[in-house]
Amino acid sequence: MDFFFGLLQIIGVHTLLGLSAYVVLQTGQVTLAQAGFFSIGAYVSAMLTVLAGWHIIPALLVSATLAGIVAGIVGFPALRIKGLMLVVATIAFGEFIRLFWFNFDYQIEKKGIVVGPQGGEGFKQIRFFPENGWSTLDVAIFIWVIVALVMLALWWTDRSRAGTVLRAVGEDELAAQSVGINLTAVKVGAFAAGGFIAGIGGAIYAHYTTHIEHLNFGVMLATFAIAYPILGGLRNVFGTLVAVIFIQGFLVEGLRFMGDWRNLLFGALIVLAMNIQPRGLIDERSVKLVRGLFTRDTRN
Amino acid sequence: MLDSKLVRLGAVAALAVGASFGAQSEAFSAEKTVQIAGFGAKSGVVRSFGINTEAVLSGAIEAVNAAGGVKLADGSMAMMELSFYDDRCNAEEGISVLRRIAGSDAVVAIGPTCSNVAEPLFGILQKTVGDEGDSGLQIPVFTDTAIKGGLAKISQWAFRNVPNESEMYRALFQWIATEHPDLKTVYGGVEEDFAHSRFTWHKVMKERSPEAGYEVLGESKWLLNDTNFTTQVRQMKKAKADIVAISAHPFTTCGVLKEMKRQRVKPSLLVGLTSSSSMETLQGCAEQAEGIIIPTSFAPVTEAAKAAADAAAKHEGSADLHSAAAWEIVMILKEVMEAQGIAADGDSVDADRRKIRDGLANLKETDGLLGKIQRTDEGEAVKPYLYVHAQAGEWAILHDPSQ
Repeated sequence: MDFFFGLLQIIGVHTLLGLSAYVVLQTGQVTLAQAGFFSIGAYVSAMLTVLAGWHIIPALLVSATLAGIVAGIVGFPALRIKGLMLVVATIAFGEFIRLFWFNFDYQIEKKGIVVGPQGGEGFKQIRFFPENGWSTLDVAIFIWVIVALVMLALWWTDRSRAGTVLRAVGEDELAAQSVGINLTAVKVGAFAAGGFIAGIGGAIYAHYTTHIEHLNFGVMLATFAIAYPILGGLRNVFGTLVAVIFIQGFLVEGLRFMGDWRNLLFGALIVLAMNIQPRGLIDERSVKLVRGLFTRDTRN
Repeated sequence: MLDSKLVRLGAVAALAVGASFGAQSEAFSAEKTVQIAGFGAKSGVVRSFGINTEAVLSGAIEAVNAAGGVKLADGSMAMMELSFYDDRCNAEEGISVLRRIAGSDAVVAIGPTCSNVAEPLFGILQKTVGDEGDSGLQIPVFTDTAIKGGLAKISQWAFRNVPNESEMYRALFQWIATEHPDLKTVYGGVEEDFAHSRFTWHKVMKERSPEAGYEVLGESKWLLNDTNFTTQVRQMKKAKADIVAISAHPFTTCGVLKEMKRQRVKPSLLVGLTSSSSMETLQGCAEQAEGIIIPTSFAPVTEAAKAAADAAAKHEGSADLHSAAAWEIVMILKEVMEAQGIAADGDSVDADRRKIRDGLANLKETDGLLGKIQRTDEGEAVKPYLYVHAQAGEWAILHDPSQ
């Protein structure tokens, strides 16, 4: 069972990463900076638990808040550009953060061992979970409580005026502005919220892998971050979850026994899935279908 | 109509997922076998390392089984059985693979390929044996390839059979200083984003060469996925060093060597990274690599080493510095399992893992393909080594420091 709990952890963290991009995508902005915010959460929380001896929960909140603030700051220049230019700008930002960690060296001695981020060598011994006796199940529950809270918050937002505002900006900025929506607040707010969620994901990631390095936070991770909500569908938060289960649970883990063929199938199955469900795995049609299974047809 | 189609599709998908997860566990259902799990990179840029490890492991296990297998505590013999997993040289996947192995009947895990996978993997193992407060995994992991210095000390469940590069390069530079007293300067080339190559330049070559009296003139950096080395080689050319030390894996080593030839950069001596003493380098750039000197802990110079190389070739792999260590690991494990008296029945997996760990921790010396291997208290190996150089498309022995 330990393996399945471990897999649940991975799916949980990637769901948070995907949801961080989901929020930004709602406003029509395509961002590849999420890996950068994810890395801020990872490094800062690890420094707080390993170097400062903090508990994981305050460390997670502080690192996620910092990631959210940085994301908000990034959101301002992003207001001036859109489309492909925004993609390029956010890639550049993500690489800037990654290279910052590549050059960041800060180590201190704790209990006779030198610990802390060491540039290209990475940051090892982030062992809050095992050192405090958390079992794999405990960690999985912890992660999924957070995932559930984030999903609930986003699900509620989707159904509130805030969600309508986000979608209005995403559909047509000019129209949204003409009805009095503050574009700056909405776009920067979405970036900050996305950064906060990515920061939470990164903080958990650092603690379940116990070792992080700059290479973990490259363009590939950023691509996965936006691939999850796009593949899953932007209609609701569950699409991202379904896409993460499809990619991490089925394509990565489920097909591992296929060896070299797995990589080939990985891309092919994603293309196939997007062709069958061009509006995402959870689109209007599938939602209607699922709803139909649980509600009685009252016609006639 | 649509509903039934979707239900059918869902059922097929669920069966596929179930089958994929079940496929591995089915392999473990055989009785009285000693389950060995191997893992490493079988896809991606460094896939050849994982393929070679699997080939050597298969050959070694075949050899053990052909000799009767492993003697268990009750006196019966059991065959070794191998399962091999691809971790794609990815930390997250490596952790997932190890959790899967830990949940199986495998009594030991052999791998991984990459140091950036080994570091987090060893981190999720229990740090100190018997520490009830530490919920880390309790399965011995014996590493054949991930070579970055000093990793086994992360956990008492981690062991490595990789060469000690610090010692190898210290001795190599001392030997070069004796053989070529006219050479005075060194210039480095480093694949900066790969844990092993980066560590070996900055913490090994760059520190060991001045100890032998060399002046380090500088360094050029590139990345594992780079394909253009014009600027780096231009810097190298400008430095006019006597020795160029390239700390990079075969793929970029070849790229740099080809660019060096194009720019007519001809140092008096070339020194390479241990991992480049493989067939990949010769297949990629035998002509340009001519003369490069590399310290290695494997060459088919003994009967045992030749047998390992032949067995690897039979399984469509090649025995080199890294993969040959997997052969030694299987032989060491056989000895330890028999000495510790494992039971290898379904109920004794945890106890067997502990026995194997304790047995490995107590080892002081083991047999290796090139001679005796010393074991350190930190779970590392001190292996015999040779200096090889590329000569007419082959790795030829240049010097044996033990002679």
